[in-house]
Amino acid sequence: MKKIIDFKVFLNGIWKENPILFIMLGLCPVLAVSGSVKDALGMGIAVIFVLTGSNFVISLIRKIVPSHVRIPVFIVVIATFVTITDYTIAAFFPQIHKNLGVYLPLIVVNCIILGRAEGFASKNNVFNSILDGLGMGLGFTLIIFVISSFREILGNGTFMGKPILGSNYNPFLIMIMPPGAFLVIGLLIALKQKIEKRKKIC
Amino acid sequence: MNKKEFFIGIVVITFICALSGYLLSYIYKITMPRIEKIKKIKENKINKEIFPEGVNFIEKEMDGIKYISVLNLNDEEIGKIFEVKTLGYGGYIYLKVGIDKDMKIKGIKIKEHSETPGLGSKITENKFLDQFTGKTKDDIYLKKDNPNGKIDAVTGATISSRSVVESVRKLLEKIKEEK
Repeated sequence: MKKIIDFKVFLNGIWKENPILFIMLGLCPVLAVSGSVKDALGMGIAVIFVLTGSNFVISLIRKIVPSHVRIPVFIVVIATFVTITDYTIAAFFPQIHKNLGVYLPLIVVNCIILGRAEGFASKNNVFNSILDGLGMGLGFTLIIFVISSFREILGNGTFMGKPILGSNYNPFLIMIMPPGAFLVIGLLIALKQKIEKRKKIC
Repeated sequence: MNKKEFFIGIVVITFICALSGYLLSYIYKITMPRIEKIKKIKENKINKEIFPEGVNFIEKEMDGIKYISVLNLNDEEIGKIFEVKTLGYGGYIYLKVGIDKDMKIKGIKIKEHSETPGLGSKITENKFLDQFTGKTKDDIYLKKDNPNGKIDAVTGATISSRSVVESVRKLLEKIKEEK
């Protein structure tokens, strides 16, 4: 029996089934906008909002949507939330909007969101779906934050736009460029695997 | 799938699309004035940076080319600002080029670009852009491309630099022809 409100669902997204480290969906925006911490946080918050909102609406309407039209319906719901986010960020945070560029509207086709809609929200009740959206969104934000911290500090010598490593620090240019993102993601995935393995042995 | 299911599918999807359309039009109405305002402020700021002594900036058109005519306190035209689009390394670069009455470059600014952060994005820095000030069309070559050139490329971003240089020179040539 599934519980009506299950808080494990929330933690699931943050660590065990983390969207980036375990499901490995939505890597494109992670690679693209993790060059600076500010942009990464903007992206993370946008993803949390869209994921939670679309999970909520989709689990609300899951019983009235016939299965053969579910995918287009999901996409319409997701696109609506993404457009809302896009306009809001453009109106209130123009600098972040400029930096995120095309990756903001591209959240529509981000696999995490459709994946959670199809894989979770369309089969679970409203509360759990919201928790799942929040958990997955936070998991995404956390990891993109860690990746962008590494990349910005090593590749640019700054954190949140402020120089922290001094002026005679010679940055690793590669960290700011796409290969840097691959390197950090790979190392983080390896780290998670290691920790999981150790848990199993104990 | 029978006919009834098919019909229900159509109804549901139509309903959801209509609802989403309504919601979006509402959000659009709230946010659009702000977005327009931000765009205008940004545009004005760039214009003012190129021509600090300009007072009035009026949009005009000459032989199909749009430009902004810059007027000073006495309503005399002291220069023009053109907008140029050029293909860089990572996509289009949108430039604003200010030209004074003697067909010399008054200043250029990058409005939008998608060059590599940390490399190509250095074309937006004044160290590169200030080199253009006061140059005429014969000077605007990269030093490494032409011995008469007076512009240093950004290290590691030759393609971005070259595309900016070429587009500015082409603009100057085009305007000269029409005069």
